[in-house]
Amino acid sequence: MIFMDDRVFGLSAGRLIVDVLALLCISACAYADGAIVFSDITKETGITFIHTDGSSGQRYIIESVSSGLALFDYDGDSDVDIYFLNGAPLKGTKFDKAPINELYRNEGGWRFTNVTEQAGVGDTGFGLGVAVGDYDNDGDLDIYVNNYGPNVLYRNNGDETFTNVTSEAGVANGHKVGAATHFLDMDKDGDLDLFVANYLDFTYENHMIRTSKGIPKYAGPMDFPPMPNNLFRNNGDGTFTDVSVESGVAEHKGWGMGGVCADFDNDGDTDVYIANDVYANFLFENDGTGKFDEIGLIAGLAYDLHGDDQGSMGVDSGDYDNDGWLDFYQTSYAEELAALYRNLGDSMFEDVTMVTGAGAGTMEYVTWGNSMVDFDNDGDRDIFVACGHLQDNIEFYNNTTTSFVQNTLLMNTGDGKFVDVSDQGGNGMKVKLRSRAAGFDDLDNDGDVDVVILNSRREPTVLRNDSPAKNHWLQVHLKGVKTNRDGIGARVKVVSGDLTLIDEVHSGRGYQSHYGMRLHFGLGNRDKIDRIEVRWIGGGIDILKDVEVDQLLTITEGSGHAQ
Amino acid sequence: MLPVREPLSTKQEIVALKNEEMELAEQLMRDFPGRDDSLVIMGNLCYRHGNVIKALEFWNKALEINPKRSDVYRSMALSSMKKGKFADAVAQFLKALEIEPQLPDVYSNMGHALMMSGQTKEAIKVLEKEIQISPNSGFAYFLLGQAYLQQKEYEKAKENYEAAIKINPGYTNAYYGIASVYAKLGNRDKAKEYSENFKKLKAEERKSLKGRKIKYDDFVETQKSAAITYINVGQAYRENGKLVKAEELLKQAAGLDPENIVCFLELATLYQVSKQPSKALQMYKKIRDIQPESAVSYLVIGILSSHLKRYDDSEEAFRKLITLAPQKSDGYRELARLYLKTGQKFPQARQLAEKALALEANAPNYFVLSWACYANGDITNALPTVKRAIELDPGNQQYPRLYKQIQRGY
Repeated sequence: MIFMDDRVFGLSAGRLIVDVLALLCISACAYADGAIVFSDITKETGITFIHTDGSSGQRYIIESVSSGLALFDYDGDSDVDIYFLNGAPLKGTKFDKAPINELYRNEGGWRFTNVTEQAGVGDTGFGLGVAVGDYDNDGDLDIYVNNYGPNVLYRNNGDETFTNVTSEAGVANGHKVGAATHFLDMDKDGDLDLFVANYLDFTYENHMIRTSKGIPKYAGPMDFPPMPNNLFRNNGDGTFTDVSVESGVAEHKGWGMGGVCADFDNDGDTDVYIANDVYANFLFENDGTGKFDEIGLIAGLAYDLHGDDQGSMGVDSGDYDNDGWLDFYQTSYAEELAALYRNLGDSMFEDVTMVTGAGAGTMEYVTWGNSMVDFDNDGDRDIFVACGHLQDNIEFYNNTTTSFVQNTLLMNTGDGKFVDVSDQGGNGMKVKLRSRAAGFDDLDNDGDVDVVILNSRREPTVLRNDSPAKNHWLQVHLKGVKTNRDGIGARVKVVSGDLTLIDEVHSGRGYQSHYGMRLHFGLGNRDKIDRIEVRWIGGGIDILKDVEVDQLLTITEGSGHAQ
Repeated sequence: MLPVREPLSTKQEIVALKNEEMELAEQLMRDFPGRDDSLVIMGNLCYRHGNVIKALEFWNKALEINPKRSDVYRSMALSSMKKGKFADAVAQFLKALEIEPQLPDVYSNMGHALMMSGQTKEAIKVLEKEIQISPNSGFAYFLLGQAYLQQKEYEKAKENYEAAIKINPGYTNAYYGIASVYAKLGNRDKAKEYSENFKKLKAEERKSLKGRKIKYDDFVETQKSAAITYINVGQAYRENGKLVKAEELLKQAAGLDPENIVCFLELATLYQVSKQPSKALQMYKKIRDIQPESAVSYLVIGILSSHLKRYDDSEEAFRKLITLAPQKSDGYRELARLYLKTGQKFPQARQLAEKALALEANAPNYFVLSWACYANGDITNALPTVKRAIELDPGNQQYPRLYKQIQRGY
């Protein structure tokens, strides 16, 4: 029966339904073979970490937003290790043994050893955000942990141990509720400065519990006053100076969550994007000297397409459409689509979530850790989203959902669109937990990117990338000489035939996490790289030509050639 | 002596209230078994309580009994949208429109679902349809703006945002839309101007939101939600002729949510049906107290007061109506009618009736002007005027009576 006149669709509604179903079938069938496949190998890894949010039924808001993780090579043995942040007992909670952050050394072959104690990085603070960088330019990676409470800076001693140098460095940052944190060379002087985002002004005195339909729930961010973020300038002598006010960062109060530093306008300095929870997101534009202007609204990043402030959670940058500009993907609260902001190249962004399908599978869940990564090495970036409801009792006031849910995997179809392939993504995509942070790197050095997920109040999930495609790839590890030692903020351009890819080294990204210091480029069937260009932050440009594919390439600043 | 009981905690009160609602809806299903209305009320209640699975069961049972329930398909579609099941939502909206093609807001919401699933061109067609049905839908215009913005048709986007703002000058998101359009067109000054407007409105919104949060008490929200159940069940009993039960339930609804005008409207309807105009008048006065700037309640109060021979009250109500809606003819016409009915101020009545007709040339206004002319002895004008009223509304019994009376006088 035709029940709608032809002016609406030019076809009957019945026909429309058939077409929609056909479209859905085509999408599912096209990817039924599973072009991206993850295997859950958590049990094989030897990782025994269990996350705690320090809760005991009081529903302190900070419980609901923990914690981040870091993937980085702490011992310089060329494989990626894992550092999990943990909560801490909150008022009213007792533990026999205090929960601590845990560091796992990658032994190869998917075996990990807990080296927390030997390394001396078992902080007992309430861990929220983490970033890694060589702040003292001594050739090894240091760790900064953004806590609820005083923060911690661990200096890497270069012998697989760390020293807590927070006090002498001057970066404890008082007693705040932390969020994302980032190392960046804001003034291009060759050493790494430190951005510290703050969530909100929580105390036990202003704590409150809300109810919905009579059922208790965590209060929302707006129930607490907002906070400005902090910025510390590296003095070059192992100490930092708080320049939050002089830099312009402290002018803006918000409810900071995830963040990422990226040169969004490609002007050779590092800018900062901070996702705010139910508030306009901040885009701090760097003038090149470490002074920042907040331009989120005019750039089109503060709000979603409709002009609504999202419950923004994590954010990552990447060039999803290979047009040479860094785009942003940002996760959000339930009943909101996670958002993809396309960089238009003129300091403007466009919310292209709906037209690209990049929000598929995210509406029902609270979404957290995320990244734009080329999982199948076909030359375009796919999207992984960690999901899990913030309210641990959501099923009591909406019994069609639960806080334990599947994560989301979106495949880039190469024409600027995404398709939800979560159900075809192998047993790794069938895990249902309350995910928070997620990190992405090649943990087994086999040329594809794997995933580590921190799950609230549970064991983490480790996903091995078992995608069948045998595409070519390149990984780039940067070594700064005059500039910071790991090339944080440096931009790499890879040209292979008709394909041009860009990326930057980030410190701190996604949901309050750190990962991906070795840049990963999927090349499809292209078997030769014509040119690689590295633009160092505060340094020159190195160009390499005719590079082999399928290798981890270390590029040292100024050498102009690969080592 | 009975033992003193501890007062219930808020949590216990909420549980008790929700149980009461459930019992009420179950009783309704027992009293009217096999009725789709009862099942829909139960489904809606389950949905409000967060039991979406049960809600869908009851809605589907209601559709088995009465497949023509467009409201049920609409509810299902909105539920699908919340879960991000946009294709399901579109199919359910289409079902609703199959049953009731002119149902307001359905095309808007379907357009939204299509946009969310990336089908922007289809969304535009659907949203245009909504504007044909509901030309005052600011939401439809706003979404059209969004769709054209996505299509990079910036002029059309701007036009639609402007239309949304014309309908609702405080439409915050539409200002954001226009700012985005100007930014895309490279007009940074205009983009900044609209961004500033947007920021200002947004800040006001956040202030009011904060105010609401501070006052927010889930028990109050639960009471408001329970009032909806009481109203729905009350309506069902009224429609089935159980007026005493309906009145009892609607009064309870008013107790739970004294700001809910729907329950007072329902009570007023009930009293009108049961020929209790005095009580009906009281209900409209309550609505007036809740919404003192709403012209409609003054119109009804004036008419009912006149019916009850409370002429001073009636005059006061009509004068207030003229103040609130000076460009609408109702107040002038009804005040003129009042003077004519009470046999006073005939010259003023004629002036008022002329004003009413100048504003709106409809049958009631022709009729009252004819009556005023006749009362002022102007038979020459009275006759053609009443003839026009009869032409415009031939089914009205009152107009021919006046016509005959004027003819007799002539």
